Amino acid sequence: MSGALAWLLVALGLGVVVVRRRSLAVALVTAQALVLAVRAHEEAGAAAALALRALVLGVLLLLVVSRTREPRPVRAGVAPLMRGGLAVTLALALTWLVPTLGLGSRNAERGVLALVAFGLVTVAARAATLFQVLGIVLVENGLALAALELHGGSSAAIELGVAFDLTLIATVAAVFHERIFAEFGSGDAAVLRTLRD
Amino acid sequence: MTSRELLALAVVAAPALTAVACAVAPRRSTFAVSVVGATAAAIAAAVFTVLAVGEPSTTVATAWLIVDPAGGVLVAVIGAVGLASVVVSPSYLGTVREGLVRPGRLPRLYYSLLFAFWAALAGVPVIGNLGGAWLLVEATTAASALLVGFSGKPRALEAGWKYLILTSLGLGVALLGVVLLAATGGGGLDGLSWHALAHTAPGGQTVLIAYLLLLAGLAAKIGWAPVHNWLPDAHSEAPAPVSALLSAALLPAVLLVAWRAGRALTPAVGATTAQSVLIGFGLLSLAVAVPFLWRPLPWKRLLAYSSLEHMGVIALGLGFGGPVALAGVVVHIAGHAAAKALGFYAAVPLLSHEPRAGGQPAGGVGRTEPALGVTMGVALGTLAGLPPSPLFVSELLIVAGGFASGRSWAAAVAAVLLALGFLGLAHALLDTLAGRVRDDSARGRAAGLRVVTILTGVTAAFLLALTSVALWLPGSELAHSLAAGVR
Repeated sequence: MSGALAWLLVALGLGVVVVRRRSLAVALVTAQALVLAVRAHEEAGAAAALALRALVLGVLLLLVVSRTREPRPVRAGVAPLMRGGLAVTLALALTWLVPTLGLGSRNAERGVLALVAFGLVTVAARAATLFQVLGIVLVENGLALAALELHGGSSAAIELGVAFDLTLIATVAAVFHERIFAEFGSGDAAVLRTLRD
Repeated sequence: MTSRELLALAVVAAPALTAVACAVAPRRSTFAVSVVGATAAAIAAAVFTVLAVGEPSTTVATAWLIVDPAGGVLVAVIGAVGLASVVVSPSYLGTVREGLVRPGRLPRLYYSLLFAFWAALAGVPVIGNLGGAWLLVEATTAASALLVGFSGKPRALEAGWKYLILTSLGLGVALLGVVLLAATGGGGLDGLSWHALAHTAPGGQTVLIAYLLLLAGLAAKIGWAPVHNWLPDAHSEAPAPVSALLSAALLPAVLLVAWRAGRALTPAVGATTAQSVLIGFGLLSLAVAVPFLWRPLPWKRLLAYSSLEHMGVIALGLGFGGPVALAGVVVHIAGHAAAKALGFYAAVPLLSHEPRAGGQPAGGVGRTEPALGVTMGVALGTLAGLPPSPLFVSELLIVAGGFASGRSWAAAVAAVLLALGFLGLAHALLDTLAGRVRDDSARGRAAGLRVVTILTGVTAAFLLALTSVALWLPGSELAHSLAAGVR
């Protein structure tokens, strides 16, 4: 995998960590998955699974955004620059802690670790419920990248599995998001903190 | 395809077909369809278990299916708890006024999701491939998350959301481990079968990292500390029959995946590492659970923290290994499933009898509703490990297995933590049965008490039989076969 492609995927992922608008973040993860689909052009099955998943998820999540307009932006609690800094720091730490993943190229390995780190930070630092779903999508995009770097022809099967899983989880998350929005008047995970011991 | 493989498929197909049937059947016949489907699924599970456990040395392990004693035990647990949950469900649904969909559609949605969850869950012990197991575990999340939030109440939505996000994120980390194992095994999915993993996974840092990622990810789904935050919320807010399946069947089924992965990868990562990780999770879970068992908690929340404790005990037993500890694990899984499921079923009559018990500890139930008190006493007494509970014997076996395996310090710490946990639950048991009766003007009829009372009799008989079996099990062929692992 070329360094430029890895950087493009990482940049799109970092965008999700820092942007404010939900629709823009959905566009970024969709673009990321489409870039992965293009990268997988030599394996038709994997490319088709990635492209289909990108489009289905993109449409689903944009539909959810349009049906749950926030009266005012959900505050993340952590400033964008701080989130970006945290995400980059975690990505660098993972790259240092995990010397090798055994994938085809070192660029791809770093890209995978960066996307997993960005996904974790997005879930932890964003308060909007939709962004928490996007954090999971980021992690799974990182795993899709890892699967593309496998040898032995299993990447199509893994991409199909990831696509099925992600669509299922995103659909359930969409149901929850809409119910939370209807119940609390906002898709803000900060209101979901009543269950404590 | 052999008869055992066909049975393995039937164990999954029966609940899967029932889920579809419940979705399309006329509304008034939904329960009848669900009872027929549950009975068929439970019979398939029973036959499968008899074959798998009856001849423990005859293991079938293909690229996609596995029929072994460990899977047999879990299939039995899933079948029995699934059937009992379906039987208790009308009592629960009778108390539901609103939910995720319009009231008229609630039963159909409920039963469809319950059987979809059951089908995915039943697939976990019989799937012969780590990649497939991961996919099925993730599928259980999708179905069960909707069930956790089924009531549509704010607390249920919060619990369902936490469960969905935290376990999906954890399983994402586990998938990274799976992908790395696929890479080290040559890239093919066949290389992820339990059999192939045991023979082809080479040593080195990558396999170790993959194993740790896999275990860390699965820990989030099993509910091991420190990634257990979703567990008390989901188990306390889900419908009681679903809580029973979550705690009694789902957690140990995912634990089986972690154990199988550890056993298969032992040649690559080393026995000490594989065992130490499990023991570490086990001790930490026990240590985190014990302080909560000492606190006055609402009934379902108390049971949820008890799940954290018992998953820790099972992890310890698996980590210690050897026929004695593994015999303890088998007894513990079966005994915990029966007692915990009964405890959650008791929540249905409890919450209609004493509505405040949803938010505060139940007190003096033995005096206000003696039959319900007996049910709660059997459940909590068993979970506490009060003799003649089979969990008393299983915990002894596991601790003894720890000393036998040379992990004396871990076994000693576990014994102390188990004693503390026992004291906490014993106190809760006394309070629940004979404690101060709280003034509750909303106290009413205990809905579904008759069904739960019948289940109490069946469960009590099973638990006593299990205690007898527990004394014989360590020297059995089953225990030795489990210790030998996948071949």
